[in-house]
Amino acid sequence: MSPNYLLKRLLMIVYTLFVVSLIVFAITQVLPADAATMMLGENATPEALSALRQTMGLDAPIYMQYVHWLGHLLQGDFGHSLRTNQPVGPAMFAALGRSLLLALLSIGLMLVIAIPLGIIAAVRRGKVADMLVSLVSYLGVALPEFVTATVAVLVLADWLKWLPPTGYVPLTEDFFGAIAHLVLPVCVISVILIAHVSRMVRSELVDVLHTDYIRAARLKGVSGRTVLWRHALRNALLPTITIVALDVGYLLGGVIVVEEIFAIPGIGRELIVAIQARDLPAIQAGVLIMAATYSIVNFVADILYAWLDKRIQYD
Amino acid sequence: MTNTIETPVLAIRDYSLDYETANGTFHALKNIDLSIGRGEILGLVGESGSGKTSLAWSIMRYLSKNARETSGDILLSGESLLKKSNAEIEAMRGRRISMVFQDPSTSLNPTLSLGHQLSEVLMRHRKLTKQQAWREGEAMLARVGLKTPAEMMKRMPHEASGGEKQRVVIASAFACSPECIIFDEPTTALDVITSRQILDLFVELQEETGVASLYISHDLALVSRTAGRVAVIKHGDIVEQGPVASIFHAPCETYTRELIAAVPDPTRRLSSPSVETGAEPLVRVENVSVHYGRKPFLASLTGRSFTRFKGNNAVSLTVNPGEILGVVGESGSGKSTLAKAMTGLNPFEGKIWFDGREIRGLKDMTTAYRKDVQIIFQHPDASLNPRHKISEILSRPLKLYGDGSNLRQQVGDMLEKVRLPRTHADRYPHQLSGGEKQRVAIARAFASKPRLVICDEITSALDVSVQASVVELLLELQKANNTAYLFITHDLNLIRQIAHRIAVMYRGDLVEIAPAEEIESADRADYTRRLIAAVPLPAGASPIASATIASEGA
Repeated sequence: MSPNYLLKRLLMIVYTLFVVSLIVFAITQVLPADAATMMLGENATPEALSALRQTMGLDAPIYMQYVHWLGHLLQGDFGHSLRTNQPVGPAMFAALGRSLLLALLSIGLMLVIAIPLGIIAAVRRGKVADMLVSLVSYLGVALPEFVTATVAVLVLADWLKWLPPTGYVPLTEDFFGAIAHLVLPVCVISVILIAHVSRMVRSELVDVLHTDYIRAARLKGVSGRTVLWRHALRNALLPTITIVALDVGYLLGGVIVVEEIFAIPGIGRELIVAIQARDLPAIQAGVLIMAATYSIVNFVADILYAWLDKRIQYD
Repeated sequence: MTNTIETPVLAIRDYSLDYETANGTFHALKNIDLSIGRGEILGLVGESGSGKTSLAWSIMRYLSKNARETSGDILLSGESLLKKSNAEIEAMRGRRISMVFQDPSTSLNPTLSLGHQLSEVLMRHRKLTKQQAWREGEAMLARVGLKTPAEMMKRMPHEASGGEKQRVVIASAFACSPECIIFDEPTTALDVITSRQILDLFVELQEETGVASLYISHDLALVSRTAGRVAVIKHGDIVEQGPVASIFHAPCETYTRELIAAVPDPTRRLSSPSVETGAEPLVRVENVSVHYGRKPFLASLTGRSFTRFKGNNAVSLTVNPGEILGVVGESGSGKSTLAKAMTGLNPFEGKIWFDGREIRGLKDMTTAYRKDVQIIFQHPDASLNPRHKISEILSRPLKLYGDGSNLRQQVGDMLEKVRLPRTHADRYPHQLSGGEKQRVAIARAFASKPRLVICDEITSALDVSVQASVVELLLELQKANNTAYLFITHDLNLIRQIAHRIAVMYRGDLVEIAPAEEIESADRADYTRRLIAAVPLPAGASPIASATIASEGA
């Protein structure tokens, strides 16, 4: 992997974020209310509105507003929330932190379960174990998260009272309390991810086990176990990295339902609140932060892939 | 050994193997009787689907779940392999019997170092520690003729050439001094010169160790030069076996005779001796260069220069009307790149003159040019659309270049011209055999009545006997229509039979163009002579240049 490639990828990320910023800005411009109306309410007098627009710089041409906004953005200033009048940057990053914690724990739990399941299914292809794994994983993906989440809350929190039903406690405040609150959402999200990752591991491993080099290893007398662990698994798991990186996108924005049910103030939830309140600076900040996180995660996945598979030469 | 009656190392007695398939039972091997003694090389020759590889898997005890062994036994130094448990088989493989595979680029694990893959055999079977195995591995690599064994051990498969990788595979097959080694087409995937070097290495190691060898190949010429005895297999039956000399000079069976007759023999010319060279050649290729690769991003930012990969380097040649120009060279020598440039599949620099018209690029390749210049590809499976019937495939060029009338009749005529039944028009490509598919591809190319047909390795995926009949068809069409061919191949024996002139390419450069009869002359370029010397001639042909090729650049 050449420095050339790294630089190229970093520039691509900057370019992507630039395009995202343009789109986000454009969308917030066409929303049927501007910041001034949002702050003063529907019944404000036109004089008051135009006075506020002037102080906020909203009477300037749109491109000037964009340049102004981007200039502040580059200095780390995402603006102030129209709803709470607090700086949106810190609020959004805190929400991102909570989302990432949830995402990392879910991915971790998913990998611990999905990889062994995929291996078992591949090794016992066509047997009962294989079919059980497909059945369970399809069940996981077929049930919408609001169903699994509701059932989980009902059984584990309501009836058995093993775990708190909803809410979020920061790790720094009460470690065990925080973990207890995270168990249910993490399990619900993992169930959804396990399905496709275990299918992926299974099909990749089945392919690898049929390659010439696996046959060659077996015919050298290498034992079945060594063939599986040393020869096959590494090659079979590589594509999983890409899939997991793509899942991060889902985990940041798509788990809004889970965040809602368990009352976790993650970035998806913050963004929905911002959209409902037409809180333009918060929407812009939220979308940009999500896009940046997604780009970086995929960049890291590509580097990791190249590091594990030396054949890949990025240039 | 002092025994007078030695037990053969490998003995196969009345062995039969069936596969249970959805369409019923398939008899893959029928009452096979073979034996190989110490120090002996038995060549097993057959066409694809004859059961060569099934026999190898049976010996290695690597059978698929639907395989049924219906009779006989396989004995390794007198011990029955059929009675061994899985654990015993695992302990036997690689230690007492090992295997060298066809393609080193797929038989090595891409994510493990060459040293790892070699030393694991030593650790497994000779119970060496990791360090011992690594040191032993280096010694083994030196023995198979690799110049920098210590460094080679650390390399990953993609960092080594095909020849180097095959040497590593051979090293691991010989690693535990087995009694028997199965060589399954070990040079088929390699270039001409490399495969000769690998063959020399095999012969040398075989003599040194005296290992009993089963050498599986479809290449009769090659087997006739390496093996002591030959067995010919057809549809799972050993039709004939015996010493090389008697099989090749006095074959008893018709099938053997046909097989031997189909082997290209450069001393037997098949095409008309020469073509009258008119005033103007049909095609003149002038300084055509093809470059691959885009400018790297950083270089384009900074304006720094960079070197692109050269596919062709200022190639100039001519083809006369009705002439067969052979283009030979190893893989990566730019043969196919030239074909792609001439058909507009690659952008090129330089000029092509076709029948007096100047072609500078894709925009000059008009319908008239495309009608005159057709191409046939190596794999008919990839070049015929699997969802189109043969009639649809053949109607396309008729509608495009012909009058498009009475298609049904015309398609039938075309099929007859390539000696296929008219009824094949209603079939799909997968319902035809490999040779039949290639005939359809030939018919398609000839539909527009072209004046130049570019044949890009069109027989290399076919069996010898099929190849012989396809070549015969091509020569017939050439005579009937006075079509010129640019015949790209790596099979030197074949091209010497049919081409009028031969162009030799090496790493994108055109080395020289020589009349086919003079290709063996001492005046030829150094590379041409090395190439010619590397090719085994069939037994009975003029004597082979016996000097082994220096192993440089293996």
